[in-house]
This record gives sequence, C-alpha cells and structure tokens, in this order.
Amino acid sequence: MRFAALVVGAALAAWITRRVWGGHPPAPPGAVLCPRELALLAAVAEAVFPPGGPLPRSGGEAGVPAYVDRLVAASAPRQRRLMRLLFAAVEHATLVFPGPGLWRGRRRLSAQPLAARIAVLEGWRTSSLFSRRLVFASLRAIVTLGYFADREVQRRLALDPFAIESPICEADLLYPRVGASRATIAFGLGDLTPPSDGTPLHASAPGAAR
Amino acid sequence: MSAPDVDLRAYADYERDFREEADVVVVGSGPGGAVAARELAARGLRVVLVEEGPPFTPPDYVQDGGFAMARTLREGGLRATRGTVMPTMQAIALGGGSLVNSAICNRAPAFVLDDWCGDYALEHTTRADLDPHYDAVGAYLGIAPTPDPVQGRRNLLFRDGCEKLGVSCEPIPRNVRGCRGSGECFTGCRPRAKQSMDITYVPDALRLGATVLTSARVEQVLASGRRAVGVAGRVVAPFTGRPGHRFEVRARCVVLAAGCMATPVLLERSGLAGPSGHNGRNLQFHPGVAVMGIFPEDVDPRFGATQGYQSHHFLAEGFKLETLWAPPAVLSVRMPGSGVELERRLLDLPRLAVWDAITSCNRSLGEVVPRRRGLDPVLRWKLHPLDLPILKEALYRLAEIFFAAGADSILPGVHGLPDEMTSLAQARALRSCDLRPGDLVLGGNHAFCTTRMHGDPARGVVDEWGRCHHLDNLYVADSGVFPRCPSVNPMWTVMALAHRTAHAIADQAGRSPGAHGFSPPGAAGAGRLGATPAGAGGR
Repeated sequence: MRFAALVVGAALAAWITRRVWGGHPPAPPGAVLCPRELALLAAVAEAVFPPGGPLPRSGGEAGVPAYVDRLVAASAPRQRRLMRLLFAAVEHATLVFPGPGLWRGRRRLSAQPLAARIAVLEGWRTSSLFSRRLVFASLRAIVTLGYFADREVQRRLALDPFAIESPICEADLLYPRVGASRATIAFGLGDLTPPSDGTPLHASAPGAAR
Repeated sequence: MSAPDVDLRAYADYERDFREEADVVVVGSGPGGAVAARELAARGLRVVLVEEGPPFTPPDYVQDGGFAMARTLREGGLRATRGTVMPTMQAIALGGGSLVNSAICNRAPAFVLDDWCGDYALEHTTRADLDPHYDAVGAYLGIAPTPDPVQGRRNLLFRDGCEKLGVSCEPIPRNVRGCRGSGECFTGCRPRAKQSMDITYVPDALRLGATVLTSARVEQVLASGRRAVGVAGRVVAPFTGRPGHRFEVRARCVVLAAGCMATPVLLERSGLAGPSGHNGRNLQFHPGVAVMGIFPEDVDPRFGATQGYQSHHFLAEGFKLETLWAPPAVLSVRMPGSGVELERRLLDLPRLAVWDAITSCNRSLGEVVPRRRGLDPVLRWKLHPLDLPILKEALYRLAEIFFAAGADSILPGVHGLPDEMTSLAQARALRSCDLRPGDLVLGGNHAFCTTRMHGDPARGVVDEWGRCHHLDNLYVADSGVFPRCPSVNPMWTVMALAHRTAHAIADQAGRSPGAHGFSPPGAAGAGRLGATPAGAGGR
C-alpha cells in the first residue's frame, strides 16, 4: 500500500515536473522570464495575432515575448510577480478550462496546437465569469502592447513614430535625466529656445497630412 | 553659461543621510503640492517640497504605452480597485498627475459647490469663494479653451455630433501654451506645451527659494501632541523604488499633497488618522466608460489635442462627456475580439475616434487602507446598483452622438451585447439591457474624498482650509479633501483649494502678500503657523 502510494506520488511529481518545466526551448541570454513563461507568451501571441491575418506579422514574428520580457524587467517587484502569476495561471488553467479533446485539451496551453489555443482563449474572452474575462483582458493587453511595438505593425497601421522638436525651457536647466546627477545638466541660460509656437502637427508632420 | 543656482536634488546627488529645516514641508509635487509650495515660497516662507518620483525631461519620455506606464505610474499602471474591479492610476513623477494627464481644467460647477456647503457644513466654499483662487491659478497657467486648429478631426466630429443633436458642448479649457496637437499627453508632452507642474510651479518655487527633494519618499509624519513637527523618509531609486539614504525635514507646518490614495495611508502609518474614523473612508471616483466609433473616412486620430471637446449638457443627470485619446496600444485593449477578427479591427484604427463619459457616482463608495507592508494602498470600492443606470445612459448618449456625427458603427465594449453596433436602434440596448458592473469596462478616473473636509470634526478629516481637525498645523492639499466628487475634472479645483490653503497658512505666519502674493478676500491675521485662519470660525 505504502509502495503504491510512493509510486503514485513519484508519477505525479514527474507529471507535474514535465508539465511545468519540461520541453521548453531555452530562454535567450539575459532574459528575465524563464523558458516556460516565454513559451506561453509566444503561444498566446500567435493565438491573439495569428499568422495569415490581414496584418503583416503574427504575434510571434512581432517579437512579443521579448517585448514582454523587457517590460517585466522594467516593472517593480510586485508587478513582476503579478504578471508572472498571470502567465502561470493561463498556462495551467487548461486543467479546469480545457481546450478541445478530452486529454489533449488539458495539456498546458503552450503545448496545444494553434487552433486549440485560439479556442481556449476565446473561451476566456466570452466567459460568463467576470474573473475569466478579466484574466483574458489583462493577458491580451500585455500581448497587444508588445505587438504594437513592432515597426512593421506600426507602419501597416499608420502609427509610425514621428519626431517632434522639444524646446529647451527653464526646467531643462534644472533637471538632469532620470537617475543622473545635476552635474550632468548640459544646458545653460544661453541654450534656451523659444517655446512651442503651436503649429498644428497634423499639418506639418511628415506623412501625417491627410 | 551654467544652470541656475537653485536647491533641487536628484537621486544621484544624495550622498548621505540628511536633515533639513523649513517653515513648511510640502509632501507631493502634483497640482496640489506644487501650487501650495510655490505660493508659500512667494509669501516668503522657507519651503521644502518632497517628491517620491524623479523629474522627467523630454529625452526620458517614451511613447510606448507599456513602458510609459511602467515608468511614470505607481504600480506600473496596474493599480486596480477591489470589489468592483476597475483600473486606476496615480503618477510617480515630479509634477505628479499633471505630467501625464490631458491638462483638462474645469471649475467645479456652482451647484456642486453649493451641495458641498449644504451637506458638509462648509461656509466658505461656494463658487464665489473659490473663483479668486481659480482666477489666480488660471492666469498663471494660461488656462484657455482648446483652439480649433489643434483640435484634430476626432474632436471636431464630437462637436458636430453634439450640435446636430442640440447637445451643448465646448472646447476643453486646458493648461497648455503652444499645443501642437501631438496627442501625447499621457506619455509626456514632448513639445513642452502642457503647463505641467514640473515646468511651471515647481521651477518658480525653486526660484523663490524653495528646496525640492526628488526621489525622496516620505514614510512618516512626525508629531508631538497636537502639532506636526516634520516628516521622515528614505531616498528611493527611480523606477525600482529601492530605498537608500534616510532623511528628515523638521518644519513648523506640514502640508500633505501626496494624493487621495496616498495621504490617508501616510496618516494611518504615522498614527495620525484622527478620531473621526473618516481617514481613508468615503473613497469616490468618476467611473468612466468609453465608446469607440468607426467613421467612413480617415480621421487621423493620432493628431489633435488629446482631449479637445467636452459636453456638460448632462451634468445634472450625473455624467460629463468628452473626447479621448491615448497611445493606440493602450486604447486597443478595449477593442473586442481576438485573432484575425482583432487584426481586422486594428486596421480600422485610422478611422477610429474614442469618446468617453465620466460619471458622478456619489452612492458608490470605497476606502483606502495600507497594505500589510509598504506605502501602496489597497483600494476597495463598489459600484452601487443605483449608479449603474447613469453609466448605461452615458453609454447610450455617446452612441447617439457618434451616429449623429456620421459613424458607420460603434464598439460599445459591453459584455453580453454585440461587439459592434451599426445603428442607433441597435444601440438602444445600451439603455435598456440588464447589466451588471462586471459587464462594463470601467476606468477609475480621478479619486476623491479620503480625507474629506467637513465643518463637523466628527464627520470629516480636515476643515474648510484643509487643516486636519485633530492637529493644529497639519494640512491636506489634494483631492482627498473634496467632500464629494466634483462632477468635472478635478485638477483646477485641487489647485484652487491648495492655493487657498497656502495663503491661509501664510496669513497665519504673518507674511504679507508681497509682490508674488495673493490676498484672499477677508483673510487677514497673523500669528503662529497653524492657528485658526481668520474667518474660519475656530473649532
């Protein structure tokens, strides 16, 4: 009896280990997120922005996991934990909210084929449970931020970054760049420039005129 | 030529623990704190202004929505209420919320202020009482209606829709000079047109002799008996919040302007919540709902004032309508769908406008309590069922204006209703359907009332002048002092009240108005900082 319990326990441990840690491609050097989190993000990005759609890049091609990795790195510790908890929850919630197929649908989300992942996420999006919709909205928000950071996507959506000249005002003589010492302020009174003249940007920005 | 010789300290300039002395220490450099600090310095008082965030300059701004939020907002922009879940924001930067808001300046309507006076035993807070303070701030910041040339198409379409329906509307008055309509208010104004506190009141306070400590987090208000004697805290690294050197500022008077979500936590942590039981209670928002509209032609939504038009037509019914813009990646979070359907909708972005409503949900209350550790708050708030119809009606009115303006379709963002509506008849469901709070995508715009003013010390935290009822020289100068939501964007009212509070403090210190000063009507008197302001009626 005891032996049987040990065997069952060991099998369960092996299953959990494989489910949580097994079979992920290694993370790129310097990544803050671990391989399983990057794999989940790639899987979700491909499901939210799948290949073959009207936009030039899929979520994976747009480098969403790398963007989210940078975003997580730039976040405060508590927010990092919250985001990672969100990723883990979505990855393993297939145990409770499975994809198509009795057993296959319960595999972790990142291990499921694209069509199944899309179906799972659609289930979250349209759920009658507010908490499920909230989880989906949070995850999609993070992925969308990363998708929009891609230059090709920006170009297709007419959202290319545009340059604007910043006048040098009195405040620029007082404040250093964030994190730097005041001794690094490069401007003096002679560098002050006239304030913005209020020329509407939509009439003057390159590529912005209608 | 070198930079002006002023006493501003940045994170990298702190080398050891330190201690300062001042007449007045002001905590927080947002619209309340910056105005108070400048006005007090102008009246000749020795002021130390303490701000937890760093100063930002244009090279520090990033246009990417995610990183902009992570850098300039507390909790990386992920702050949300519990109960009825709703995201809400608080900035962490020199200049506070003024760095990342849309510069909207509205005076609180007279009927709102009359209600405040009637319901909260206030005697000197009518519109006539506050107008001199509104005027002083308005003239200083150049507050003026948004001119047509920088409105951009998505704002003008709102005007057109309102006019067709006979709904009154107006260009939004803003604290900007030379706005070019870059639509970047939320990520920092690169053309330096927005007259945020960091480029207006704070430099002026420095020039007038104030000391400004940035990246300095106040963790405790120090008190002795009925008097505050200063504040203590730690220097913190920008973005990570890693604590460093300790500091203490001893002062004859303390002004807390840390924001409605932080000031009550600071009071609680300092053991100064007071006996009324109202510190941190009565939390109100202007819960917001938004509708996206798709027009048949391009509207170039990226260009134009971030928020250029508004309608006060329905204020008495509990909501205000306005145009809206934000980084497209952030706005797209509201778009329905996923997969190829979402991609198709994103292609509509050049034809898209977003308009929103902020609502006066006076029955929906909450509270701010400290987390177990740290100074971040836990926000509990619940939408009252009787306030839900206000949100539904606001959604319907937005839909009505969109269709009047010629929109092909709208995306109402309401769970249980169609993702896209193509006619006003279809949009009537917004009004008639049975909704739960969780069916709406709510935004926690503005926050108020957590240290509310009340003439009765048992029913409020501060008096009409912003002074804590239970302490002689501790003042609050942020939106927490509002006794009830103001129904319109609060920044100008925060500044007007802070302006009044600062001059009341200076009057008590016996400082004459002087060249830079301001003499509020009937405010005469001199004496010890923190004594009863003239005309306040004592306690």
